[in-house]
Amino acid sequence: MSLLSGHKQGKLALVVDDSATQRKVLSVLLIEEGYRVITAEDGARGVALYIQQQPDLVLMDISMPVMNGYQAARKIKSLSLKNNLCPLIFITSMDTDESFIESIDAGGDGILVRPFSPEVFKAKIKSIQRISDLYSQVKRLQQQQQKDAELAEQLMFGVIETRNYALDKIGIIKKAAALFSGDIQLTALSPNGDVNVLLGDFTGHGLRSSIGAIPLAETFRAMTKKGFSLAEIITQVNQQLYHLLPADLFLAAGVVTISNHDQSVYVFNAGLPDTYLFDHQGKIKKKISSFHPPLGVLSNLLTDVSVKVLSIEQNDRIVLISDGIIEARNEQGEMFGYQRFEDAAIQGVNGHSVSQTVLRQVELFCQQMPQEDDISLIDLPCGGWQQSFAVNQQNMQPLKVSDTQNNAIPAWHWDLNLTGKRLAKINPVPLAMNYIQELEGHGDHWQSLFTILTELYMNALDHGVLRLSSGLKSSPEGFAQYFSEREKRLKHLTLGFIHIVIQYYPLSNGGKIVVKVKDSGDGFDFPVLNTMPKQGVAHQQQLSGRGIELVQQLCQDLQFSEHGTLAKASFFWQNQQDKN
Amino acid sequence: MSLQIEEFAGNNVTIAIEDRFDFSLHQQFREAYIHRTEQGVNVILDLSKTSYMDSSALGMILLLKDHIEQLSGTLKLVNPSDAVYKVLEIAQFQRLMTIER
Repeated sequence: MSLLSGHKQGKLALVVDDSATQRKVLSVLLIEEGYRVITAEDGARGVALYIQQQPDLVLMDISMPVMNGYQAARKIKSLSLKNNLCPLIFITSMDTDESFIESIDAGGDGILVRPFSPEVFKAKIKSIQRISDLYSQVKRLQQQQQKDAELAEQLMFGVIETRNYALDKIGIIKKAAALFSGDIQLTALSPNGDVNVLLGDFTGHGLRSSIGAIPLAETFRAMTKKGFSLAEIITQVNQQLYHLLPADLFLAAGVVTISNHDQSVYVFNAGLPDTYLFDHQGKIKKKISSFHPPLGVLSNLLTDVSVKVLSIEQNDRIVLISDGIIEARNEQGEMFGYQRFEDAAIQGVNGHSVSQTVLRQVELFCQQMPQEDDISLIDLPCGGWQQSFAVNQQNMQPLKVSDTQNNAIPAWHWDLNLTGKRLAKINPVPLAMNYIQELEGHGDHWQSLFTILTELYMNALDHGVLRLSSGLKSSPEGFAQYFSEREKRLKHLTLGFIHIVIQYYPLSNGGKIVVKVKDSGDGFDFPVLNTMPKQGVAHQQQLSGRGIELVQQLCQDLQFSEHGTLAKASFFWQNQQDKN
Repeated sequence: MSLQIEEFAGNNVTIAIEDRFDFSLHQQFREAYIHRTEQGVNVILDLSKTSYMDSSALGMILLLKDHIEQLSGTLKLVNPSDAVYKVLEIAQFQRLMTIER
């Protein structure tokens, strides 16, 4: 081996030939083209030099002692697969079809048949180097893109998935077809203890389809945290995606609220396969088919559809899936389909592992077939969620109410009078909570206040303004009926009002909030409620009247007056640092 | 997979999709209608030979719909197979456009 000098910065060429004359001739031509050159006199040494020096170009003779050109080429190509394309050109005087074919077969990128003029040789080198440069450029760009994508994916995962609620209870499958999943799974806890869950499937997959994921996650979380209802969250998300995304990009989504204290589940299916409600034995109690176009398609939600309400039992499960599961294909081109999914899910419910069982069955079915679409599933238990009002009850009791009596003037008050159609459109509870938190900061005790406000407002709206009888709610079926009736009356609501006043009294070791809710209804037999015992065990199982009972437990004083059209609740709390 | 366009006299265009209707047809599909800019163009999307449709195809149909609506034209989807109709139905497209089975 000898290193013939050339331009220091130039590319490195390896010439493998058993003829010293040939090595010399080729080297001179290469140096004229700006290459640095190393040489070897047989195939084996050529391979060794290749490994040692990593050249940018190899010129290879075919007939050589020790190891011939074909063998050396195969060896070199097997070593360079993962790296840059190092072009390899055979130089030969064997002008036969066989030698040409075998050259390419051995991994050669070109063949030059002697004799050739220096000009032809140089032209060949230029053309092959052009291809190799292009290849390196593509390779570099691809690596760069992969790196960027990995970083973005990591960030996205950090923002979205790690902030999900109750991942220990909620089973999730997430299997992306590309690095980025177009599917998104969100879970969040509402201030009243409701659990909101969203399974979304953006059009397509990969980076393009995940751009909407961050704003979606932010909106879903922020609104859930502030206590907005499922319908309000969906309305907002739809509008946001409609404005944000191009027309051909949208989100098929299933959105669910599990409400422990209503013993109901609220479901909105916009473009996902059926959402399933299973009982504890895996029997399908209900399938909720898509009833709305995907989110982001229309500027506003269709007005004639509404969230579906189903009554649930503690051991029921809700399962949401994306079409990637149903449309997963096996080698014969068959789809996994609904039947196989249902069988797997039922088996999963019985084995307490819906997500794992379904995923295993899909994988068994597809075998080695490449995954075409993102696959995802959410398995959500209906029971066992925390009751929001149980949290801070104990902390309330020892507070001395006496020192509040002199505090006649509130530090501030908030007042809102909603009338007519506005009642159907605006939920004042998150507005009020937002206001309170702006003024007084965050605190655990606001959870209870949120529940008190929600219950009193709902009570005023449903029974006062809408004149719905809570007797309707006495059976699980009636509960759903109640909601559809409520929906109907809300739509046609033109008269009526609800007036909410919130007064805040700071106390030495905590504070007091007085909530007054007055409605335009006929009132009800309030003395019965005013004398109702606190937390009667007998009432626990009833579906109706639970709201007011809940408020009684949460606040220190609840009084109805003006024929039951005015509710006044007083809520006390102690500051965190004073508790110990 | 292929796409055929038949242009009839007047404002009527039929676009027929064969085999799979997915993202790979994106460019071709767009080119099939984008040059039609006359008012009141009537487009029929013939799905009788479409075996499969994914969500990208739904997005492409929405783009077509936008284009036609700007020209005050009409869009009709015709003869989808059961499997293809199922995809349209899950996306509730029958509420957004005319689908003739």
